[in-house]
Amino acid sequence: MLKKIYAAPAILAASAALALAACGGPAASSGTSSTSASGGGVVNITWQTMWSGNTLTLLNQMISQFNSTHPDIHVTESSIPSATGDAKLLSEIAAGDPPDVFTEWNPVLGEYAGDGTIQSMAPYLTGSYAGLEKWLYPIALAGGEYNGTLYGVPMGMNSWALYYNKSMLKAAGISSPPTSLAQLYTDQAKEWKISGGKLEQIGFYPSYNQGMEYFDSFFGAVNCFDSSGKYALATCPGAQAEANFLASYDSYPYSLVAANETAYGGVAGGDDDAFVAGKEGFTMDGPWEGAQNIPVTNPAMVGNFGVIPFPNTVGGPSTFGQGNYNIIPKGAAHPQQAFEFIAWLAGYNNESFMTSLYPKGGWMPTSPAGAATPAFQAWLKSNPWLNVYIEQMSSPLSQTPKLTAHESEFFTAEATASEAIAEKSETPQQALTYIDQQANSGAGG
Amino acid sequence: MASTAVHKVTPTRLIRWRQTRLGLLFISPWVIGFCLFYLYPFFATLYYSFTTFTGIGNPAFTGLSNYSGLLHDATFRTALFNTFYYTIIEVPLSTVAALGLALLLNLNVRGQVIYRTLFYIPSIVPVVASSLIFVWIFQPSFGIVNSLLSDVHVNGPAWFFSITWSKPTFILLGLWGLGQPMVIYLAALQGVPKEMYEVAALEGAGPWQRLRKVTIPMISPVILFNVILSLVLSIQYFTQAQVIESPAGSPGNSTMFFVTYYYQQAFTDLHLGYASAMAFLLFILVLIITVVLLKTSRRWVYYENEGR
Repeated sequence: MLKKIYAAPAILAASAALALAACGGPAASSGTSSTSASGGGVVNITWQTMWSGNTLTLLNQMISQFNSTHPDIHVTESSIPSATGDAKLLSEIAAGDPPDVFTEWNPVLGEYAGDGTIQSMAPYLTGSYAGLEKWLYPIALAGGEYNGTLYGVPMGMNSWALYYNKSMLKAAGISSPPTSLAQLYTDQAKEWKISGGKLEQIGFYPSYNQGMEYFDSFFGAVNCFDSSGKYALATCPGAQAEANFLASYDSYPYSLVAANETAYGGVAGGDDDAFVAGKEGFTMDGPWEGAQNIPVTNPAMVGNFGVIPFPNTVGGPSTFGQGNYNIIPKGAAHPQQAFEFIAWLAGYNNESFMTSLYPKGGWMPTSPAGAATPAFQAWLKSNPWLNVYIEQMSSPLSQTPKLTAHESEFFTAEATASEAIAEKSETPQQALTYIDQQANSGAGG
Repeated sequence: MASTAVHKVTPTRLIRWRQTRLGLLFISPWVIGFCLFYLYPFFATLYYSFTTFTGIGNPAFTGLSNYSGLLHDATFRTALFNTFYYTIIEVPLSTVAALGLALLLNLNVRGQVIYRTLFYIPSIVPVVASSLIFVWIFQPSFGIVNSLLSDVHVNGPAWFFSITWSKPTFILLGLWGLGQPMVIYLAALQGVPKEMYEVAALEGAGPWQRLRKVTIPMISPVILFNVILSLVLSIQYFTQAQVIESPAGSPGNSTMFFVTYYYQQAFTDLHLGYASAMAFLLFILVLIITVVLLKTSRRWVYYENEGR
């Protein structure tokens, strides 16, 4: 009970102290979620997400399907802005009124699992759900595990590869996309156009808005820990190679690239970027870039791009396990039904329906069984470039970052370090040391 | 043994007590709200600032470790510097600009209402929207500002994305929201008695002297109010920087403001104890600045009823 009492005041307190300092308006209240008890044999559960726009429409389709096929459970969705999503969840848990299901980006799971914010799903992996863990892709399973226990199940996976602009490649006199990092560097160098201090076209810039974490798997640097389990990137050969790779692009104008990407990102709800706009030769991104961003934001680019595995240095195609995972917050009123819904969202015994929606969200399936469905195969057939992503999902080289209680600090530090390398304010080695210090210290309370 | 006469409630006292009780009843919603949403959180923040806490579970008392951590935190020092840099330039600049604009809009010219409306409109544009507009205006490669500069053969900087120029650009963006103080100044200017200007003019005062000797002293309480408000808002600068810069504080932590760092600590890294210490320091900071300003205001603020 004590635990319930503490968090809401803390979050409210921190916010309100600012408000008090400002002599400003009232602090925002945490609001309520509407988990109602079962009535008439139907259990009402709430699903809280941080999505909006087109994705929200997709979620509503899922809910309608689930509700129509599960007469004993009724799901209601509530969406809150991502900027306050986590804070709201913590307030709700502290107030003893959390949603039954919450969709979260998986790197945060370690932190939540570590302090008991979310529930283990192990008790529910029995009966018809006993095979769920084996059904998932190994990298999808690893993304939801903390200390060997399942805390989150994905509803769609991310996968990462290299896009190239066909017409820009041709204009640069290059006949085929690169197969090595050195070739990538040489090819993209031919595509930059800077005139009178103005950036007209980008070849490739590896780190903007996609910090080191997104490139870790291509360099074998996903899990760089020392023997005591602490982050040890500064002594990790993969991380060193990766940091040097990022630094090799520091002769290009980072500030102009950042300015371009921010300007494009401010359009179409962030679905636009220099590659989508046809102003960048190469970009490292997920399937949603080609499946959703390009067709919606710049249809002229459809058919003018190709996708290849990132030309990595460690022996073959790979990606890293990451995605949107559904979790059961501590204190959820109906964890059993919540788990049932979560497994359904993952596509477990529901492969056909869920994979039929993936083309709209630009997601990858969570299991090989999902990838084998006729709906998904049809999508692959009409968009052969997607094969790169799906092949990487089961590649033995693909890895998932181990969930730790300091993943947030690690991620923040990697983003800051990437920028420091790009700005040349730190050497690659200094940047790696900085990441280790920040992630291991868990600075502050 | 007590005398009943001593304790006898006189009708006047009874009426006064009833009035007090009624008054308390009327203001009780505000008092309850203040206690619940300001006073309690304030003391709770103070308590949490001495603990390690992630939002769930029991906070662990750690004494002054969060405060000593702040002393040794280089990013915190950078955030403080950036915030003071912004405040020290933005507050005087916006005060002079808003007052100047109000003086111009107070002139009796044709289309006065249209001008007033035009200059006020920007302040009702949502901050996020205006921030994104400014990203495009100051976009170094295809923004309008650098296009105009290149017309006069000047290579414009990267503005928001340059370590050198990022803070000055945010200061320029701050001027976009001048409508609010401008309207307050305009209202104050219209409250200055016309007779005072007539007398000053009769005694040979020119426009500059009338401004210095009549207008500014007469509206000085309003200037003080706006300056305090502007100071507090500047010290809490957050939204625009958070919307425009990614990762937070970029480039090179040049836009890591106090509240940006606070937000990162509290809601990204879930260091609620550390963030509480920051919030409490912010409160102390604002309190000190406000008190100093109010104390010094006795020298330059003219209150009519004081007869000075």
